[in-house]
Amino acid sequence: MGKRLLVALLALAYLGALGVVGLSYYTGLKQAAAWPPKAEGASLSDKDAAKVQKNIQNLQKKIGALQPKDVYIVVDTGENRLYVKKGDKVIKQAVVSCGSGDVLQDPTGKRKWVFDTPRGEFYVKSKITNPYWVKPDWAFIEEGEPIPKKQEDRVEAGSLGDYALGFGDGFFIHGTLYTRLLGRNVTHGCVRVGDDDLKEIFKIVPIGTKIYIY
Amino acid sequence: MKKAARWMLVLLAASGSGFGQTTDKASLVRRQQELTAESELAKETKFYFVLDVRERNLELRVKGMALRTWKLRSMRFWGQPSFSKTVQLVRKSTLNPPKRNVIKPGETTASKDPAKFELEALELKDMPLSFSLEFDNGLHVSVKAQARGLKGLAGDFGWYAVLPVRNMIDTKAGKPISELELSFENEKDAQAIYWIFFEGIKGLVY
Repeated sequence: MGKRLLVALLALAYLGALGVVGLSYYTGLKQAAAWPPKAEGASLSDKDAAKVQKNIQNLQKKIGALQPKDVYIVVDTGENRLYVKKGDKVIKQAVVSCGSGDVLQDPTGKRKWVFDTPRGEFYVKSKITNPYWVKPDWAFIEEGEPIPKKQEDRVEAGSLGDYALGFGDGFFIHGTLYTRLLGRNVTHGCVRVGDDDLKEIFKIVPIGTKIYIY
Repeated sequence: MKKAARWMLVLLAASGSGFGQTTDKASLVRRQQELTAESELAKETKFYFVLDVRERNLELRVKGMALRTWKLRSMRFWGQPSFSKTVQLVRKSTLNPPKRNVIKPGETTASKDPAKFELEALELKDMPLSFSLEFDNGLHVSVKAQARGLKGLAGDFGWYAVLPVRNMIDTKAGKPISELELSFENEKDAQAIYWIFFEGIKGLVY
């Protein structure tokens, strides 16, 4: 008797579960049938349709006008690639090194740096030949060295390569000694480029060129 | 008999052209809505995304320019996803979020000897293969690279058994779920989306 009751209960539970699943799928399929929602416009007169068509053209023009007319730089920090483009056309592409994403904490605990390449829209603010690197505080802290008091003790030649394009807040697109690490995320936020590629990019892009980094 | 057949053809052609016009008008209105919404986003200097559900295409854009395009392998949904206006990413979540390396001062050899330099960095390959994006309008998007084996089965169980029941319960309560799942063939595509999509990014889904 007990066994029969158990079987009956199990069968009931099974049927109940089937019912719930069935009802769930019925609800889901009903929603799916109504999707995507019906587009408006069926009752649009020909005159109104022409107006909409004109408006679409205006909007396309308006958006198109926002885009750079001249060359611009695009940096993909994940793939470590730099593209110089004009419109949709890629004029030049290069394998680069972007920010490592590492974190450095000042031993006093007062300051913290995250070595990401900044993302967003920037523009070329400066073009420098034979650049010197003025080492910021984090460069000394990272190496466990005391921070120098004199500005001249911060200056280092050669480490930025032959050319640098500044895009603000101490960030540059510059050359590198670490060519074997091109294609990897290794920098403190700058974008490192191989010497030959950088020479070409330096020639192509004027000051004011837009830079899009993502 | 021939006459009747001719009339049938004329009627079919007429009904066909009418249907085409309606569809064209509807797509015109839709295109206008999409461009109006995009023109607002394109005005800003910030990046935004466009998920074209019909074309199965996801794009990162700025000022109307596509910076990066991903082709979806497949897409499925439960509930009633609403795509009527601009959405904003509120939260990006995953089971094992990538962790940043913390540098110990004085332990780096980077500037002294480039040949001995060992890389400790957060890279694209460290990004998760599956994660969720939650938007301000309640839309929940699961992103994944094509999962195989047990992981794929577990995901499918959730999709085919758990979500429909949850959807039914929530629909009865008057708030159907809004769940979208995007699958990519290439692992790197899903990882790149995690890398690029920041909390606060705005976008259009249509």
